[in-house]
Amino acid sequence: MSADLLTVESLSIAYGPTAVVHDVSFSVAKGESLALIGESGSGKSTIAKAVLRLLPHGEATAAGRVALNGRDILALPEKQFRSLRGRELGFIPQDPASALNPVRTIGAQAQEAAALLGETDPSVRRGRILDVLEQVGLPDPVRVYDSYPHQLSGGMLQRVLIALTVLPRPSLIVADEPTSALDVTVQKLILDMLTELRRDLDISLLLITHDLAIAAERADQLVVLKDGTVQESGPSRDVFAVPRTDYARSLQADVPALHPDRYRDQRTAFRPVDPVHDGDSRTGDVSSPSAGLQIDVREVTKRFSAGGKDVLACDGVSFSVERGRTHALVGESGSGKTTAVRLLLGLEQPDGGQIAVAGQSTSGRSRAEVRDIRRHLQLVYQNPFTSLDPTWRVSRIIREPLDQFGVGTKPERAQRVREALEAVGLPSDVASRRPAHLSGGQRQRVAIARALVVRPDVVVLDEPTSALDVSVQAGILELLSKLQRELGLTYLFVSHDLALVRQVADTVSVLRKGQVVEDGAVEDIFSRPQHPYTRALLDSIPLATPAAALDRIATEDKLLAKSTA
Amino acid sequence: MTGDYRRFALTRAGQAIVVVLLAYVFTFLIISVLPGDAITNTLRDPQHGLSEEEIQRIVAFYGLDQPVVVQLLLSLGRFLTGELGFSLQSNLPVSQLVGDALPSTLTLATTALLIAIILAVAIAYGAQYLPGKWAAIVRSIPSFFLSVPNFVIGLVLIEFFAFRLHSFTTTDPNSPVATLFAAITLAIPVSAPLAEVLIASLDHESRQEYAVVARSRGLTEARLFAKHLVKPSALPSVAMVALIVGELLGGSVITETIFGRDGIGTVVQKAVTGEDQPVLQAIVSLSAVIFVAVNLVADLASPLLDPRVKLRESKLKEKV
Repeated sequence: MSADLLTVESLSIAYGPTAVVHDVSFSVAKGESLALIGESGSGKSTIAKAVLRLLPHGEATAAGRVALNGRDILALPEKQFRSLRGRELGFIPQDPASALNPVRTIGAQAQEAAALLGETDPSVRRGRILDVLEQVGLPDPVRVYDSYPHQLSGGMLQRVLIALTVLPRPSLIVADEPTSALDVTVQKLILDMLTELRRDLDISLLLITHDLAIAAERADQLVVLKDGTVQESGPSRDVFAVPRTDYARSLQADVPALHPDRYRDQRTAFRPVDPVHDGDSRTGDVSSPSAGLQIDVREVTKRFSAGGKDVLACDGVSFSVERGRTHALVGESGSGKTTAVRLLLGLEQPDGGQIAVAGQSTSGRSRAEVRDIRRHLQLVYQNPFTSLDPTWRVSRIIREPLDQFGVGTKPERAQRVREALEAVGLPSDVASRRPAHLSGGQRQRVAIARALVVRPDVVVLDEPTSALDVSVQAGILELLSKLQRELGLTYLFVSHDLALVRQVADTVSVLRKGQVVEDGAVEDIFSRPQHPYTRALLDSIPLATPAAALDRIATEDKLLAKSTA
Repeated sequence: MTGDYRRFALTRAGQAIVVVLLAYVFTFLIISVLPGDAITNTLRDPQHGLSEEEIQRIVAFYGLDQPVVVQLLLSLGRFLTGELGFSLQSNLPVSQLVGDALPSTLTLATTALLIAIILAVAIAYGAQYLPGKWAAIVRSIPSFFLSVPNFVIGLVLIEFFAFRLHSFTTTDPNSPVATLFAAITLAIPVSAPLAEVLIASLDHESRQEYAVVARSRGLTEARLFAKHLVKPSALPSVAMVALIVGELLGGSVITETIFGRDGIGTVVQKAVTGEDQPVLQAIVSLSAVIFVAVNLVADLASPLLDPRVKLRESKLKEKV
């Protein structure tokens, strides 16, 4: 065990009287990488903070032993520990946008990291900083040096943070969800770069993540955490291939990238071409060939002007969705997918093109008529933590659309709220609670109930699970698939997560810079992508095997250098 | 970007001028609808012993025999050319009356502002970095400061420092030490809201991810405070300071009375009791000018202090 760089022994952490981490032990060998994986509340970030001694003073107490190179860092006085910060122990935070001081330049903050090298001459330091910025793939280091954080993209900021962390050559880097705030293709580039830097500089990594696929792809060892206790640990290949505990098994089963066909069987049970399963008249009606297109968007254009520059957010975007099907809009931030949805929902007016809902065109109609058409079109927002009014009770939140459209009498509305709650699988006593007393998954179920209560034909799902844990995500997807089967709903699914899209969608449009670069059936796009951008997106799905990742990096070094330029 | 800033600065300056003019008109109208014809009442007061001819001359000067609108335009025209008229009580030019009193008040207000800022920063620093119990005590100081009336503080300070410790004498209110104590009196209640804002923003900033990351790089708490936290925490306080200046101008009336200083406060007091319309009009307008000017400076400074401010407008549009 003497080769271990970091040893954590029986670590327990409590916030006041509440214990959040119980008796956790693991160790990281020199040059190795270990991933702590678990869902929110599993204690993984708390352990990371304890290793870095960044737990809030006076609020948290840690017991046990955390040794770095044999020295117990929990027992060190702050002054001695400070000399290890940065130099021995580096930290890459979760959200690069908030991890740099917004009112100081990158250079000024980089000087702090460079000071750890013991170099006193600022111009020598500046040279080292520019070198390392170049090393992490930033094409114009001088411009980055003089920039303020808000002038750089999320991916560039994360590169800057990684550069600052590796600059003093620490022996261990703690990375807390280093890519979960980034676009998928950027995520892959950053992880590849980190893997490469680690190999070149012989740095050990303690990776904190909720994403089992990323953990398995990037780490040698896995520690699976639940409620602050270790469920399972071992070489990632073993843990991943043959999970021994139920929790690790279910975690593995909930990763979309590993189970592309999870919901497919359920969904094919309801298909217009397969009317055998349709018992009631409603679905029978839907399955008739005349049902046709539920959403038809043709050549829609939308231009925004920003600071004198015109930005084409949607440049001739077309897509259509058949009744009872799921269509996915895929793209990264700035691809125009959000604008397309806003146009469809009537939150913005298109500059050109046609939008038809259930065969009725929305152009050339009065506001009231359009509003009536759109009643059949409901939206489930991305983040259930902000989309529900915290001061309202659940019953009022779900009833709001009914009040808005003046549907039924008071008792009828109450009845429909009860039905909607039941449909999304929530107990009836939730109705009298407020959002603060619900979990993330419960909140998103409330949001879905709110969309369903007016009995829409189409539901727009805007990244409906991106704020949720994988196991919660699986529950929500299960629910959405069941509702689609039972109610014959049509879904427009907006996402950046291709693995998820492969699980839930029938057809897909890939958007980039306001244009549809490729569209078609999900099976075709995933097996035979035509456009290089689609291929890049597909490549960004974690492969979930460490060996494969390394091979891929080796073959794609050239490509990586090109795409960062 | 500099073009953007110039446009922004010119717009703000233009708005400031409009505000001053509106304040002038508003004051004029308020005074003119007050019961009683203030000017003629004062002029006819036998105490003044003005001859009928002199009265006529003054009436003609202010246009008192004309409709209110004409009077307003006359007065506004003179205000714009810097002509403030004559005091009805003393026959001295208003500009001279105000000019004599202004330096004393400005010294008091500026000293008080400095003391208030120092106090607020000290309180905020203590609230952040003193150990637990002490920090809690320091955190309660602003509400205590806010609840003690200005005049009580003044009387207590005079009682202790002038009468018991003889640090200064009340007979020479303009001596530096006396000025200092008057400024402290004025500064204490004014420092409270500033300290509150600073405490809140320091709490906020020190919890930000970037502060945690900077700590992980081995920065000491003192360096973290000086290098990282002061500037972003000061940003909300800049607007606060501008508002405080208004309070300092108002609060100085009471403080000047307690400490027996001759300043704008005394002039205002006399003008109000004597219904001295030109003096009142001039002082209200002057306060408006100072207040608007300070706020203008704060507005113009914020994009220079915070690099994000400039982009905010265009960024919003891009986000859609």
